[in-house]
Amino acid sequence: MDVVYAIENLTKFYPKQTSPANKDISFEIRQGEIFGFLGDNGAGKTTLVRQMVNLLRPTSGCISLLGQPVAGNPQHVANHVGYMPQIAHALNNMAVGEALYFTAHLRGMSRADARRERDTLLELWRMGPLRDKYSTRLSGGERRLLRLAVAMAGQMPVLILDEPTNELAPQRRRLVWDVLSRINRERGTTILFITHDAIEAEKVIQRVGIMRDGELVAVGRPGDLKQHIDQKLRLELFFAPDAPPQLPAGLAPHELQPGHWIALIERREASALLERLDLERLDDFRLYSPTLEDLYVHYAA
Amino acid sequence: MSTMLLDRRGQSTPVQWWDLFRMELTNWRWSWRSSVLQGTITPLFSLLALGFFARDSGREALLYVVTGNIVVSLLFGAMTSVESRVSWLRFQGGLDYIATLPVRHSAFVLAMVAAFLLLSLPSVIVTATVGPLLLGAPVHIHPLILLVIPACTAPLAGVGAALGMTGRTQQQSGNLRFLLTLVMTALGPVIVPPDKLPGFMMFLGHFSPATYAASALRQVMVGPVTARLALDMLVLCAVTAVSMAWVGWRMGRREE
Repeated sequence: MDVVYAIENLTKFYPKQTSPANKDISFEIRQGEIFGFLGDNGAGKTTLVRQMVNLLRPTSGCISLLGQPVAGNPQHVANHVGYMPQIAHALNNMAVGEALYFTAHLRGMSRADARRERDTLLELWRMGPLRDKYSTRLSGGERRLLRLAVAMAGQMPVLILDEPTNELAPQRRRLVWDVLSRINRERGTTILFITHDAIEAEKVIQRVGIMRDGELVAVGRPGDLKQHIDQKLRLELFFAPDAPPQLPAGLAPHELQPGHWIALIERREASALLERLDLERLDDFRLYSPTLEDLYVHYAA
Repeated sequence: MSTMLLDRRGQSTPVQWWDLFRMELTNWRWSWRSSVLQGTITPLFSLLALGFFARDSGREALLYVVTGNIVVSLLFGAMTSVESRVSWLRFQGGLDYIATLPVRHSAFVLAMVAAFLLLSLPSVIVTATVGPLLLGAPVHIHPLILLVIPACTAPLAGVGAALGMTGRTQQQSGNLRFLLTLVMTALGPVIVPPDKLPGFMMFLGHFSPATYAASALRQVMVGPVTARLALDMLVLCAVTAVSMAWVGWRMGRREE
Protein backbone atom coordinates (compact mmCIF):
# COMPACT_ATOMS: atom_id res chain seq x y z
CA MET A 1 0.00 0.00 0.00
CA ASP A 2 1.40 3.47 -0.96
CA VAL A 3 2.38 5.87 1.78
CA VAL A 4 0.44 9.15 1.65
CA TYR A 5 1.97 10.88 4.68
CA ALA A 6 5.33 10.05 6.27
CA ILE A 7 6.12 11.80 9.54
CA GLU A 8 9.63 11.40 10.92
CA ASN A 9 10.91 12.49 14.33
CA LEU A 10 8.55 15.45 14.47
CA THR A 11 9.01 17.76 17.44
CA LYS A 12 7.20 21.01 18.04
CA PHE A 13 7.91 23.61 20.73
CA TYR A 14 5.69 26.70 20.84
CA PRO A 15 7.57 29.96 21.51
CA LYS A 16 8.33 30.55 25.21
CA GLN A 17 7.26 27.02 26.20
CA THR A 18 9.67 24.56 27.73
CA SER A 19 7.78 21.31 27.15
CA PRO A 20 7.11 20.16 23.58
CA ALA A 21 3.58 20.10 22.14
CA ASN A 22 4.75 17.20 19.93
CA LYS A 23 7.70 15.05 20.91
CA ASP A 24 9.65 12.91 18.44
CA ILE A 25 6.62 11.61 16.55
CA SER A 26 7.02 9.15 13.66
CA PHE A 27 4.30 7.31 11.78
CA GLU A 28 2.86 6.78 8.30
CA ILE A 29 -0.58 7.16 6.77
CA ARG A 30 -1.23 4.76 3.90
CA GLN A 31 -3.34 5.38 0.85
CA GLY A 32 -7.02 4.56 1.29
CA GLU A 33 -7.02 4.09 5.05
CA ILE A 34 -9.14 5.68 7.75
CA PHE A 35 -6.85 6.71 10.57
CA GLY A 36 -8.16 8.11 13.86
CA PHE A 37 -6.27 10.10 16.47
CA LEU A 38 -7.41 9.77 20.06
CA GLY A 39 -6.10 11.63 23.10
CA ASP A 40 -7.06 14.00 25.87
CA ASN A 41 -7.39 17.75 25.35
CA GLY A 42 -3.91 19.26 25.13
CA ALA A 43 -2.30 15.97 24.05
CA GLY A 44 -0.95 17.63 20.87
CA LYS A 45 -3.34 16.21 18.23
CA THR A 46 -4.35 19.54 16.67
CA THR A 47 -0.73 20.78 16.74
CA LEU A 48 0.26 17.65 14.83
CA VAL A 49 -2.38 17.95 12.08
CA ARG A 50 -1.78 21.72 11.65
CA GLN A 51 1.84 20.90 10.86
CA MET A 52 0.68 18.23 8.40
CA VAL A 53 -1.37 20.81 6.45
CA ASN A 54 1.45 23.36 6.54
CA LEU A 55 -0.24 25.88 8.83
CA LEU A 56 2.31 25.44 11.59
CA ARG A 57 6.10 25.19 11.37
CA PRO A 58 7.69 22.14 13.07
CA THR A 59 10.66 22.77 15.37
CA SER A 60 12.42 19.70 13.96
CA GLY A 61 11.62 16.57 11.99
CA CYS A 62 10.16 16.02 8.56
CA ILE A 63 6.67 15.65 7.09
CA SER A 64 6.30 14.27 3.55
CA LEU A 65 3.12 14.11 1.52
CA LEU A 66 3.17 11.71 -1.43
CA GLY A 67 6.96 11.61 -1.29
CA GLN A 68 7.48 15.41 -1.22
CA PRO A 69 8.30 17.44 1.89
CA VAL A 70 5.42 19.75 2.84
CA ALA A 71 7.80 22.47 4.12
CA GLY A 72 8.08 25.22 1.52
CA ASN A 73 5.54 23.50 -0.72
CA PRO A 74 2.12 24.84 0.33
CA GLN A 75 0.54 24.31 -3.11
CA HIS A 76 1.38 20.59 -2.98
CA VAL A 77 -0.57 20.16 0.26
CA ALA A 78 -3.44 22.39 -0.90
CA ASN A 79 -3.76 20.43 -4.16
CA HIS A 80 -4.20 17.10 -2.37
CA VAL A 81 -5.52 17.63 1.14
CA GLY A 82 -8.91 18.89 2.28
CA TYR A 83 -8.61 20.22 5.82
CA MET A 84 -11.36 20.85 8.32
CA PRO A 85 -10.19 22.91 11.32
CA GLN A 86 -11.38 22.25 14.84
CA ILE A 87 -13.30 25.48 15.25
CA ALA A 88 -16.10 25.72 12.71
CA HIS A 89 -16.23 29.47 12.19
CA ALA A 90 -18.27 31.00 9.43
CA LEU A 91 -16.78 30.74 5.94
CA ASN A 92 -16.38 34.36 4.94
CA ASN A 93 -19.77 35.79 4.15
CA MET A 94 -20.62 33.26 1.51
CA ALA A 95 -23.83 31.32 1.21
CA VAL A 96 -23.51 27.54 1.64
CA GLY A 97 -23.82 26.86 -2.11
CA GLU A 98 -21.27 29.58 -2.95
CA ALA A 99 -18.71 28.19 -0.50
CA LEU A 100 -18.99 24.69 -1.99
CA TYR A 101 -18.91 25.87 -5.61
CA PHE A 102 -15.92 28.22 -5.25
CA THR A 103 -13.93 25.71 -3.19
CA ALA A 104 -14.50 22.91 -5.72
CA HIS A 105 -13.62 25.20 -8.64
CA LEU A 106 -10.47 26.57 -7.00
CA ARG A 107 -9.39 22.98 -6.36
CA GLY A 108 -9.24 22.37 -10.07
CA MET A 109 -12.74 21.33 -11.20
CA SER A 110 -14.32 22.89 -14.29
CA ARG A 111 -17.18 25.32 -13.59
CA ALA A 112 -19.78 22.75 -14.69
CA ASP A 113 -18.19 20.03 -12.56
CA ALA A 114 -17.97 22.41 -9.60
CA ARG A 115 -21.70 23.12 -9.88
CA ARG A 116 -22.41 19.35 -9.97
CA GLU A 117 -20.06 18.83 -7.02
CA ARG A 118 -21.91 21.53 -5.07
CA ASP A 119 -25.25 19.82 -5.70
CA THR A 120 -23.85 16.38 -4.85
CA LEU A 121 -22.39 17.63 -1.56
CA LEU A 122 -25.59 19.45 -0.63
CA GLU A 123 -27.48 16.20 -1.10
CA LEU A 124 -24.82 14.01 0.55
CA TRP A 125 -24.77 16.16 3.69
CA ARG A 126 -28.55 16.80 3.60
CA MET A 127 -28.01 20.55 3.35
CA GLY A 128 -30.18 21.22 0.30
CA PRO A 129 -32.49 23.65 2.16
CA LEU A 130 -29.43 25.58 3.40
CA ARG A 131 -28.02 26.23 -0.07
CA ASP A 132 -28.73 29.97 -0.09
CA LYS A 133 -28.26 30.57 3.62
CA TYR A 134 -25.22 32.67 4.61
CA SER A 135 -22.66 30.73 6.60
CA THR A 136 -22.71 33.44 9.29
CA ARG A 137 -26.35 32.53 9.97
CA LEU A 138 -25.89 28.77 10.36
CA SER A 139 -26.12 26.97 13.69
CA GLY A 140 -22.94 25.43 15.19
CA GLY A 141 -23.86 21.97 13.90
CA GLU A 142 -24.75 23.27 10.42
CA ARG A 143 -21.43 25.13 10.22
CA ARG A 144 -19.55 21.96 11.11
CA LEU A 145 -21.35 20.03 8.34
CA LEU A 146 -20.52 22.85 5.92
CA ARG A 147 -16.84 22.74 6.91
CA LEU A 148 -16.89 18.97 6.34
CA ALA A 149 -18.49 19.41 2.93
CA VAL A 150 -16.01 22.19 2.05
CA ALA A 151 -13.07 19.96 3.09
CA MET A 152 -14.39 17.30 0.67
CA ALA A 153 -15.24 19.71 -2.18
CA GLY A 154 -13.21 18.98 -5.32
CA GLN A 155 -13.03 15.26 -4.45
CA MET A 156 -9.87 15.64 -2.42
CA PRO A 157 -7.88 12.38 -2.22
CA VAL A 158 -6.81 13.06 1.38
CA LEU A 159 -8.98 14.49 4.16
CA ILE A 160 -7.72 15.73 7.52
CA LEU A 161 -10.60 16.43 9.87
CA ASP A 162 -10.19 17.92 13.34
CA GLU A 163 -13.07 16.69 15.49
CA PRO A 164 -15.64 16.27 12.71
CA THR A 165 -18.50 15.24 15.00
CA ASN A 166 -18.01 17.84 17.74
CA GLU A 167 -21.24 19.80 18.51
CA LEU A 168 -23.33 17.44 16.35
CA ALA A 169 -26.58 15.80 17.39
CA PRO A 170 -26.54 11.95 17.38
CA GLN A 171 -28.36 11.72 14.04
CA ARG A 172 -25.81 13.99 12.35
CA ARG A 173 -22.90 12.15 14.00
CA ARG A 174 -24.15 8.96 12.38
CA LEU A 175 -24.42 10.78 9.05
CA VAL A 176 -20.76 11.88 9.35
CA TRP A 177 -19.47 8.34 9.99
CA ASP A 178 -21.67 6.94 7.21
CA VAL A 179 -20.47 9.51 4.65
CA LEU A 180 -16.80 9.14 5.58
CA SER A 181 -17.07 5.38 5.39
CA ARG A 182 -18.81 5.63 2.01
CA ILE A 183 -16.31 7.96 0.31
CA ASN A 184 -13.45 5.84 1.65
CA ARG A 185 -15.05 2.73 0.18
CA GLU A 186 -16.19 4.22 -3.14
CA ARG A 187 -13.34 6.64 -3.96
CA GLY A 188 -10.48 5.29 -1.87
CA THR A 189 -10.22 8.62 -0.05
CA THR A 190 -7.56 8.58 2.66
CA ILE A 191 -9.08 10.00 5.84
CA LEU A 192 -7.29 11.11 8.99
CA PHE A 193 -9.35 12.52 11.82
CA ILE A 194 -9.14 13.56 15.43
CA THR A 195 -12.03 12.58 17.67
CA HIS A 196 -13.12 12.15 21.25
CA ASP A 197 -16.04 10.09 20.01
CA ALA A 198 -14.16 6.78 20.29
CA ILE A 199 -17.17 4.49 20.56
CA GLU A 200 -18.84 5.74 17.36
CA ALA A 201 -15.54 6.15 15.51
CA GLU A 202 -14.80 2.49 16.12
CA LYS A 203 -17.29 1.66 13.35
CA VAL A 204 -15.08 3.26 10.69
CA ILE A 205 -11.54 3.44 12.08
CA GLN A 206 -9.02 1.11 10.43
CA ARG A 207 -5.93 2.27 12.33
CA VAL A 208 -5.64 4.38 15.42
CA GLY A 209 -2.96 6.61 16.94
CA ILE A 210 -3.20 7.46 20.63
CA MET A 211 -1.50 10.59 21.96
CA ARG A 212 -0.54 11.55 25.48
CA ASP A 213 1.39 14.66 26.57
CA GLY A 214 2.64 15.36 23.04
CA GLU A 215 3.81 11.80 22.39
CA LEU A 216 2.32 9.18 20.12
CA VAL A 217 2.08 6.35 22.65
CA ALA A 218 0.40 3.71 20.46
CA VAL A 219 -0.27 3.19 16.73
CA GLY A 220 -1.94 0.20 15.13
CA ARG A 221 -5.14 -1.59 14.21
CA PRO A 222 -7.67 -1.48 17.06
CA GLY A 223 -7.81 -5.29 17.08
CA ASP A 224 -4.03 -5.58 17.48
CA LEU A 225 -3.88 -2.96 20.19
CA LYS A 226 -6.76 -4.54 22.06
CA GLN A 227 -4.70 -7.71 22.45
CA HIS A 228 -2.63 -5.76 24.99
CA ILE A 229 -5.70 -5.27 27.13
CA ASP A 230 -7.71 -8.41 26.33
CA GLN A 231 -7.25 -9.66 29.87
CA LYS A 232 -9.12 -6.62 31.06
CA LEU A 233 -12.75 -5.56 31.35
CA ARG A 234 -14.31 -2.14 31.14
CA LEU A 235 -16.17 -1.01 34.24
CA GLU A 236 -18.44 2.02 34.01
CA LEU A 237 -19.80 3.71 37.11
CA PHE A 238 -22.76 6.14 37.15
CA PHE A 239 -23.53 8.23 40.24
CA ALA A 240 -24.74 11.66 41.39
CA PRO A 241 -21.88 14.07 40.57
CA ASP A 242 -21.99 15.67 44.01
CA ALA A 243 -21.78 12.31 45.85
CA PRO A 244 -19.01 10.18 44.32
CA PRO A 245 -18.68 6.61 45.65
CA GLN A 246 -15.81 5.32 47.79
CA LEU A 247 -13.67 3.10 45.57
CA PRO A 248 -11.94 -0.14 46.46
CA ALA A 249 -8.15 0.19 46.80
CA GLY A 250 -6.32 -0.08 43.47
CA LEU A 251 -9.23 1.09 41.30
CA ALA A 252 -8.16 4.27 39.43
CA PRO A 253 -11.02 5.49 37.19
CA HIS A 254 -10.95 8.07 34.39
CA GLU A 255 -13.74 10.66 34.45
CA LEU A 256 -15.66 10.76 31.15
CA GLN A 257 -17.98 13.42 32.55
CA PRO A 258 -19.21 14.41 36.02
CA GLY A 259 -21.00 11.40 37.51
CA HIS A 260 -19.61 8.99 34.88
CA TRP A 261 -16.32 7.16 35.50
CA ILE A 262 -14.67 4.42 33.54
CA ALA A 263 -11.92 2.01 34.59
CA LEU A 264 -10.15 -1.02 33.15
CA ILE A 265 -9.94 -3.92 35.56
CA GLU A 266 -8.29 -7.33 35.37
CA ARG A 267 -10.73 -10.13 34.46
CA ARG A 268 -9.60 -12.31 37.32
CA GLU A 269 -10.18 -9.52 39.85
CA ALA A 270 -13.63 -8.52 38.56
CA SER A 271 -15.76 -10.58 40.97
CA ALA A 272 -13.87 -9.50 44.07
CA LEU A 273 -13.92 -5.88 42.97
CA LEU A 274 -17.66 -5.83 42.29
CA GLU A 275 -18.34 -7.19 45.77
CA ARG A 276 -16.44 -4.28 47.29
CA LEU A 277 -18.21 -1.57 45.23
CA ASP A 278 -20.05 1.14 47.16
CA LEU A 279 -23.45 0.28 45.65
CA GLU A 280 -25.27 2.66 47.98
CA ARG A 281 -23.83 5.63 46.10
CA LEU A 282 -24.03 4.19 42.60
CA ASP A 283 -27.01 4.80 40.30
CA ASP A 284 -25.76 2.11 37.94
CA PHE A 285 -22.65 0.15 36.92
CA ARG A 286 -21.81 -1.77 33.73
CA LEU A 287 -19.15 -4.30 32.83
CA TYR A 288 -18.04 -4.84 29.18
CA SER A 289 -15.28 -6.40 27.13
CA PRO A 290 -12.80 -3.69 25.88
CA THR A 291 -13.75 -1.12 23.20
CA LEU A 292 -11.74 1.50 21.32
CA GLU A 293 -12.53 3.91 24.11
CA ASP A 294 -10.86 1.53 26.54
CA LEU A 295 -7.74 1.58 24.41
CA TYR A 296 -7.85 5.36 24.68
CA VAL A 297 -8.26 5.15 28.46
CA HIS A 298 -5.54 2.52 28.74
CA TYR A 299 -2.94 4.45 26.75
CA ALA A 300 -3.92 8.08 27.21
CA ALA A 301 -5.25 8.36 30.73
CA MET B 1 1.85 6.12 -6.64
CA SER B 2 -1.55 6.54 -8.20
CA THR B 3 -1.71 9.16 -10.96
CA MET B 4 -4.97 10.49 -9.55
CA LEU B 5 -2.97 11.61 -6.54
CA LEU B 6 -0.06 13.13 -8.43
CA ASP B 7 -1.82 14.94 -11.30
CA ARG B 8 -3.98 17.28 -9.28
CA ARG B 9 -3.64 20.98 -10.12
CA GLY B 10 -5.56 24.08 -9.07
CA GLN B 11 -6.62 26.89 -11.40
CA SER B 12 -4.39 29.40 -13.22
CA THR B 13 -3.60 32.60 -11.31
CA PRO B 14 -6.07 34.82 -13.26
CA VAL B 15 -8.89 32.30 -12.66
CA GLN B 16 -7.94 32.09 -8.97
CA TRP B 17 -8.06 35.88 -8.79
CA TRP B 18 -11.49 36.07 -10.43
CA ASP B 19 -12.98 33.46 -8.05
CA LEU B 20 -11.40 35.09 -5.01
CA PHE B 21 -12.57 38.53 -6.17
CA ARG B 22 -16.16 37.25 -6.41
CA MET B 23 -15.81 35.56 -3.02
CA GLU B 24 -14.52 38.80 -1.50
CA LEU B 25 -17.34 40.79 -3.08
CA THR B 26 -19.74 38.82 -0.86
CA ASN B 27 -18.38 41.02 1.92
CA TRP B 28 -20.90 43.66 0.84
CA ARG B 29 -23.28 41.67 3.05
CA TRP B 30 -21.69 43.25 6.11
CA SER B 31 -19.46 46.05 4.77
CA TRP B 32 -22.33 48.16 3.41
CA ARG B 33 -23.10 49.30 6.95
CA SER B 34 -19.57 50.58 7.54
CA SER B 35 -19.54 52.07 4.01
CA VAL B 36 -22.72 54.02 4.75
CA LEU B 37 -21.90 55.02 8.32
CA GLN B 38 -18.15 55.57 8.19
CA GLY B 39 -17.42 55.96 4.49
CA THR B 40 -20.29 58.31 3.68
CA ILE B 41 -21.96 59.89 6.70
CA THR B 42 -18.72 60.69 8.62
CA PRO B 43 -16.99 62.50 5.73
CA LEU B 44 -20.23 64.24 4.73
CA PHE B 45 -20.75 65.67 8.21
CA SER B 46 -17.07 66.61 8.43
CA LEU B 47 -17.33 68.19 4.98
CA LEU B 48 -20.41 70.23 5.90
CA ALA B 49 -19.08 71.32 9.31
CA LEU B 50 -15.65 72.31 8.03
CA GLY B 51 -16.95 73.51 4.67
CA PHE B 52 -19.29 76.19 6.02
CA PHE B 53 -16.49 77.35 8.30
CA ALA B 54 -13.88 77.27 5.49
CA ARG B 55 -16.02 79.31 3.08
CA ASP B 56 -14.93 82.42 4.96
CA SER B 57 -11.28 81.43 4.54
CA GLY B 58 -11.46 81.51 0.76
CA ARG B 59 -11.88 79.24 -2.24
CA GLU B 60 -8.65 77.29 -1.68
CA ALA B 61 -9.58 76.33 1.89
CA LEU B 62 -13.03 75.20 0.69
CA LEU B 63 -11.53 73.00 -2.02
CA TYR B 64 -9.12 71.41 0.48
CA VAL B 65 -12.13 70.54 2.64
CA VAL B 66 -13.96 68.97 -0.32
CA THR B 67 -11.05 66.88 -1.65
CA GLY B 68 -9.69 66.12 1.83
CA ASN B 69 -12.99 64.62 2.87
CA ILE B 70 -12.94 62.25 -0.09
CA VAL B 71 -9.66 60.96 1.35
CA VAL B 72 -11.39 60.73 4.75
CA SER B 73 -14.12 58.70 3.06
CA LEU B 74 -11.44 56.29 1.77
CA LEU B 75 -9.69 56.16 5.14
CA PHE B 76 -12.90 55.39 6.99
CA GLY B 77 -14.31 53.24 4.19
CA ALA B 78 -11.65 51.21 2.36
CA MET B 79 -8.97 51.16 5.06
CA THR B 80 -11.43 50.37 7.86
CA SER B 81 -13.24 47.64 5.93
CA VAL B 82 -10.07 45.89 4.78
CA GLU B 83 -8.49 46.07 8.25
CA SER B 84 -11.68 44.59 9.77
CA ARG B 85 -11.79 41.91 7.12
CA VAL B 86 -8.15 40.78 7.50
CA SER B 87 -8.34 40.95 11.27
CA TRP B 88 -11.52 38.85 11.25
CA LEU B 89 -9.89 36.32 8.93
CA ARG B 90 -6.84 36.07 11.18
CA PHE B 91 -8.59 35.71 14.49
CA GLN B 92 -11.69 33.76 13.41
CA GLY B 93 -9.90 31.02 11.49
CA GLY B 94 -10.74 32.29 7.97
CA LEU B 95 -7.08 32.47 6.96
CA ASP B 96 -6.80 28.70 7.57
CA TYR B 97 -9.43 28.20 4.89
CA ILE B 98 -7.66 30.45 2.38
CA ALA B 99 -4.20 29.09 3.29
CA THR B 100 -5.28 25.49 2.61
CA LEU B 101 -6.77 26.28 -0.81
CA PRO B 102 -4.51 25.93 -3.88
CA VAL B 103 -4.34 29.69 -4.46
CA ARG B 104 -1.49 32.19 -4.53
CA HIS B 105 -1.53 34.51 -1.54
CA SER B 106 -0.79 37.44 -3.83
CA ALA B 107 -3.95 36.58 -5.85
CA PHE B 108 -5.98 36.64 -2.64
CA VAL B 109 -4.56 39.98 -1.46
CA LEU B 110 -5.12 41.54 -4.91
CA ALA B 111 -8.66 40.15 -5.03
CA MET B 112 -9.49 41.47 -1.57
CA VAL B 113 -8.14 44.97 -2.28
CA ALA B 114 -9.91 45.08 -5.66
CA ALA B 115 -13.21 43.97 -4.11
CA PHE B 116 -13.05 46.60 -1.38
CA LEU B 117 -12.05 49.21 -3.94
CA LEU B 118 -15.30 48.47 -5.74
CA LEU B 119 -17.26 48.37 -2.48
CA SER B 120 -15.89 51.79 -1.43
CA LEU B 121 -16.79 53.50 -4.72
CA PRO B 122 -20.41 54.40 -3.80
CA SER B 123 -19.21 56.30 -0.69
CA VAL B 124 -16.54 58.14 -2.66
CA ILE B 125 -18.98 59.07 -5.43
CA VAL B 126 -21.57 60.34 -2.94
CA THR B 127 -18.96 62.38 -1.04
CA ALA B 128 -17.46 63.74 -4.27
CA THR B 129 -20.80 64.84 -5.74
CA VAL B 130 -22.95 65.82 -2.75
CA GLY B 131 -20.17 67.79 -0.99
CA PRO B 132 -19.39 70.28 -3.76
CA LEU B 133 -23.11 70.67 -4.54
CA LEU B 134 -24.03 71.54 -0.95
CA LEU B 135 -21.08 73.85 -0.45
CA GLY B 136 -21.19 75.37 -3.91
CA ALA B 137 -17.51 74.49 -4.44
CA PRO B 138 -16.30 74.96 -8.04
CA VAL B 139 -14.95 71.58 -9.18
CA HIS B 140 -13.79 70.67 -12.70
CA ILE B 141 -13.44 66.93 -13.14
CA HIS B 142 -10.48 65.76 -15.24
CA PRO B 143 -10.86 62.36 -16.99
CA LEU B 144 -7.75 61.15 -15.13
CA ILE B 145 -9.98 60.87 -12.05
CA LEU B 146 -10.86 57.39 -13.33
CA LEU B 147 -7.24 56.36 -12.66
CA VAL B 148 -6.71 58.52 -9.60
CA ILE B 149 -9.58 57.14 -7.47
CA PRO B 150 -8.40 53.50 -7.70
CA ALA B 151 -4.82 54.68 -7.20
CA CYS B 152 -5.88 56.50 -4.00
CA THR B 153 -8.02 53.60 -2.72
CA ALA B 154 -5.57 50.75 -3.25
CA PRO B 155 -2.74 51.98 -0.95
CA LEU B 156 -5.17 52.80 1.84
CA ALA B 157 -6.77 49.36 1.47
CA GLY B 158 -3.23 47.87 1.44
CA VAL B 159 -2.32 49.74 4.64
CA GLY B 160 -5.62 48.48 6.16
CA ALA B 161 -4.67 44.90 5.25
CA ALA B 162 -1.19 45.37 6.77
CA LEU B 163 -2.75 46.72 9.98
CA GLY B 164 -5.10 43.72 10.09
CA MET B 165 -2.08 41.40 9.86
CA THR B 166 -0.14 43.32 12.52
CA GLY B 167 -2.18 43.52 15.74
CA ARG B 168 -1.82 40.87 18.44
CA THR B 169 -5.59 40.87 18.87
CA GLN B 170 -8.54 41.92 16.73
CA GLN B 171 -9.13 44.87 19.07
CA GLN B 172 -5.50 45.99 18.89
CA SER B 173 -5.65 46.03 15.07
CA GLY B 174 -8.84 48.12 15.24
CA ASN B 175 -7.26 50.59 17.68
CA LEU B 176 -4.16 50.95 15.50
CA ARG B 177 -6.31 51.60 12.46
CA PHE B 178 -8.38 54.25 14.26
CA LEU B 179 -5.23 56.00 15.47
CA LEU B 180 -3.64 55.90 12.03
CA THR B 181 -6.84 57.24 10.42
CA LEU B 182 -6.74 60.29 12.67
CA VAL B 183 -2.99 60.81 12.20
CA MET B 184 -3.19 60.49 8.41
CA THR B 185 -6.11 62.93 8.30
CA ALA B 186 -4.29 65.51 10.40
CA LEU B 187 -0.76 65.24 9.01
CA GLY B 188 0.06 67.04 5.78
CA PRO B 189 -2.21 69.13 3.58
CA VAL B 190 -5.18 66.73 3.40
CA ILE B 191 -8.10 68.83 4.71
CA VAL B 192 -6.18 71.89 5.86
CA PRO B 193 -4.25 74.01 3.29
CA PRO B 194 -0.44 73.99 3.67
CA ASP B 195 -0.19 77.66 4.70
CA LYS B 196 -2.39 76.90 7.76
CA LEU B 197 -0.26 73.91 8.91
CA PRO B 198 2.80 74.07 11.21
CA GLY B 199 6.10 73.09 9.58
CA PHE B 200 6.55 69.80 11.45
CA MET B 201 3.09 68.57 10.37
CA MET B 202 3.90 69.46 6.78
CA PHE B 203 7.18 67.56 7.08
CA LEU B 204 5.59 64.47 8.63
CA GLY B 205 2.88 64.59 5.97
CA HIS B 206 5.48 63.53 3.41
CA PHE B 207 5.41 60.07 5.01
CA SER B 208 1.62 59.67 4.81
CA PRO B 209 -0.06 58.18 1.70
CA ALA B 210 -3.13 60.33 2.48
CA THR B 211 -1.09 63.43 1.58
CA TYR B 212 -0.37 62.09 -1.91
CA ALA B 213 -3.95 60.87 -2.34
CA ALA B 214 -5.30 64.33 -1.42
CA SER B 215 -2.83 66.02 -3.76
CA ALA B 216 -3.78 63.75 -6.68
CA LEU B 217 -7.50 64.25 -6.06
CA ARG B 218 -7.14 68.04 -5.91
CA GLN B 219 -5.40 68.06 -9.28
CA VAL B 220 -8.11 66.01 -11.04
CA MET B 221 -11.05 67.71 -9.30
CA VAL B 222 -9.87 71.31 -9.08
CA GLY B 223 -6.85 71.51 -11.36
CA PRO B 224 -4.40 72.16 -12.73
CA VAL B 225 -2.97 68.70 -13.47
CA THR B 226 0.81 69.06 -13.20
CA ALA B 227 3.90 66.86 -13.11
CA ARG B 228 3.23 66.54 -9.38
CA LEU B 229 0.43 64.07 -10.28
CA ALA B 230 3.04 61.63 -11.62
CA LEU B 231 4.93 61.80 -8.32
CA ASP B 232 1.69 61.32 -6.35
CA MET B 233 0.71 58.31 -8.45
CA LEU B 234 4.20 56.84 -8.14
CA VAL B 235 4.15 57.09 -4.34
CA LEU B 236 0.60 55.69 -4.15
CA CYS B 237 1.53 52.74 -6.39
CA ALA B 238 4.68 52.10 -4.35
CA VAL B 239 2.72 52.06 -1.06
CA THR B 240 0.21 49.69 -2.68
CA ALA B 241 2.93 47.34 -3.91
CA VAL B 242 4.88 47.30 -0.64
CA SER B 243 1.84 46.86 1.63
CA MET B 244 0.32 44.11 -0.54
CA ALA B 245 3.64 42.28 -0.92
CA TRP B 246 4.13 42.40 2.84
CA VAL B 247 0.60 41.09 3.52
CA GLY B 248 1.07 38.30 0.95
CA TRP B 249 4.40 37.32 2.50
CA ARG B 250 2.96 37.41 6.02
CA MET B 251 0.02 35.23 4.96
CA GLY B 252 2.37 32.63 3.51
CA ARG B 253 4.51 32.48 6.64
CA ARG B 254 3.57 29.52 8.77
CA GLU B 255 2.77 30.06 12.43
CA GLU B 256 5.68 29.54 14.83
